[in-house]
Amino acid sequence: MEDITGWWDDFFWGSVAVAQIFVTALIMTVLFGLIGAAAKLSKSPVAKSIASGYTIVFRGTPEILVLLLFYFGSAVTLTAIAQIFDPEIKFIDIPPFWAGSLAIALIVGSYATETFRGAFLGVEPGQVEAGRALGLSGLQTFIYVRVPAMWRLALPPFGNHMLSLIKDTALISIIGMQETLFVAEQAIGTTGKPFTMYILVGVIYLGFSTVITLSVMMLEKYANRHLEAAR
Amino acid sequence: MTFDFALIADSIPKMLMGIGLTFQLLFLSAVLGLVLAITLLLMRISGRWYLSVPTMVYIYIFRGTPILVQIFIIYYGLPQLEFVRDSIFWPILREPFGCAVLALTLNTGAYVSEILRGGVLGVDRGLKEAGAALGLSARHRLVYITAPIAIRLALPAYSNDVISLMKSTALASTITLLDMMGIARTIVAETYAPYEVFISLMVIYLVLTWMIQRSFGWMEKRMSRHIKVEA
Repeated sequence: MEDITGWWDDFFWGSVAVAQIFVTALIMTVLFGLIGAAAKLSKSPVAKSIASGYTIVFRGTPEILVLLLFYFGSAVTLTAIAQIFDPEIKFIDIPPFWAGSLAIALIVGSYATETFRGAFLGVEPGQVEAGRALGLSGLQTFIYVRVPAMWRLALPPFGNHMLSLIKDTALISIIGMQETLFVAEQAIGTTGKPFTMYILVGVIYLGFSTVITLSVMMLEKYANRHLEAAR
Repeated sequence: MTFDFALIADSIPKMLMGIGLTFQLLFLSAVLGLVLAITLLLMRISGRWYLSVPTMVYIYIFRGTPILVQIFIIYYGLPQLEFVRDSIFWPILREPFGCAVLALTLNTGAYVSEILRGGVLGVDRGLKEAGAALGLSARHRLVYITAPIAIRLALPAYSNDVISLMKSTALASTITLLDMMGIARTIVAETYAPYEVFISLMVIYLVLTWMIQRSFGWMEKRMSRHIKVEA
């Protein structure tokens, strides 16, 4: 334990970085998932095939590969563009924070696409028709009927996607993001206690996972509150 | 910026040299992980708290922390502990390959045991009762009634887990192993051509994913061949 003394604040800021990546990536994941699901459910064959291509590629390749491709790919492109204007420039990269959260959001977003698609299909057509019959507009039906109903169906699998997302944030240390795993490496450099430090990182992640699991349980309870009596 | 096709033609055979290692990691940890998962499952459903509670804790820990952290704890962390260095397992834990297989096995075992439990819980109670009425013992009921149905129910989810295990093998490259991912990273470090190398590797992984999906699809079809779908 005394090995960790002096590193607490570093681990704290590392955890804050993890939380920041998580929230940023979560927002993008929902966005990609909704766009992907909308494309898969649309009538346009072009949108459908683009969305299928997206889910096949991002669900079928290792996360670390996508991450490295994004980070180094964007750096090569940016450097090439910058050199057109100033040949002196040797290297420009996207901050690891953005390259990392975009990469993991695209990966988990591809899983969310399937979840949202299934959830929208699971909404009873009768409910949507009833909304229309009551004189709600298309947008109003979407917001007041479709979304609340699909949300209930999507929540349990989406909770799992959130857990994947928090665990994938650990990968971003590979491209130099200063989160917990990165802090651990630095601490090991001075203390020479890899076991202690990596276990601490594990405990931090376990804490994050627990918070997410509990929040999803509460959200599920909230989403199904009107069904309590039926049980 | 151009796409260097000569480099692609040059690097694909190099990366395929690592496919043997990827397969070794995948098969060893899939088989060992399945054995571990079945053990965990039997402990979990044994109905004895001193067996089921440790199993739940194990599953909670291994599903709640990133696999990358688990790999780092085992490879970099364990040598800090003296009793590990003195133990008979040291020859395995000293090698990155042994550590990677151990980490992947422990991780996938936790996930697969939950998948199998889902299958067991999905078995119709009436069937078990029918078995009991026919005078089958608890063990016979498990082997002849519950297991065959549970395996069939769990197979689709299990195939997804094998695919994520295959994707996780790429993380072995973080502990100096030269699997396909490790070789790709070496080539990129030398040539600085991330697009060519990483996208080619993505295609290779996509083919592997497709192969796994097809083989499980075939197995699923075979195992439910007695259930005629009414068209």
